[in-house]
Amino acid sequence: MSAGLNLVLVGSAVLFAVGAFALVARRSAIVMLLGTQFMFAAASIAFVAFGRFGLGARNQNAGAAVSLFVGATAIAELAVGLAIAALLYREHRSFAVDADHR
Amino acid sequence: MPLIGALPQPITSAPLVLFIYVVLILMLGSALASVLLRNTLYAIGAFAASMVLVALLYLAIAPFLLFAVQLLVFTTVSAALLIRLLRETTGLRPATLGPLSREWIIGAAVSAAVLALLEVVLGATAWPVGFCCGFIVGFGPVLTNTYPVGLAVLVVILASAALGSGLLLAAPTLPSPRGGGSVRRRE
Repeated sequence: MSAGLNLVLVGSAVLFAVGAFALVARRSAIVMLLGTQFMFAAASIAFVAFGRFGLGARNQNAGAAVSLFVGATAIAELAVGLAIAALLYREHRSFAVDADHR
Repeated sequence: MPLIGALPQPITSAPLVLFIYVVLILMLGSALASVLLRNTLYAIGAFAASMVLVALLYLAIAPFLLFAVQLLVFTTVSAALLIRLLRETTGLRPATLGPLSREWIIGAAVSAAVLALLEVVLGATAWPVGFCCGFIVGFGPVLTNTYPVGLAVLVVILASAALGSGLLLAAPTLPSPRGGGSVRRRE
């Protein structure tokens, strides 16, 4: 039994699918933001996995560095998204982004 | 010799492989729970748990700095932002228990014991970092020497996001035409 690129990429793909499901199927702005965070995390994991198993000995740190940048960008996106969600709640007393369910 | 160096081999150490499988399964389970739970507070808790598990996955396959940043910065900041949003909107209040109540003391003692145990295990055996990631040394200097432009862009992005979210929250809101009841009105 071994753990290589395929295993981590499968986990990353499933996590991305969970995030995409939250973004498409849920109406709450908070859960949709959580979905985008999962999609960012899945991309980070894929970068790290390629850096660790797939790039070669000379580029071991490249995937981790890109993952660090992706994580910080996700935090910035979350801050702006939560501010928008707070404005949405002030206006409609609900986090629902669908006008029919406010 | 390949252009980018020899490809690293997959991890074959049985405890580490088991650790990665368990972390992946728990991470996907908590992510699914976070998406499916109706209670927003529980969903945020499951989200924080899945981010901690992502950090543990990084501990097994990535430099230690990435694990520390994911655990201490990304997870904490995300959870704090979400909890603060809930407190400012839906009226979530802090716990009514005092800081010196029995529950807080027991929780702090258990947390300290678990952290001390983790510290002892990491310090004594360097597991799982020493198993797999001994080849990755000096990630911090590599980061600052190889990606200075990326780091500068990152600082600009984070500052812009902080400024933008602050301006959004400080902006006055008009009364809703549907009677939603805005909190603040334009002067």
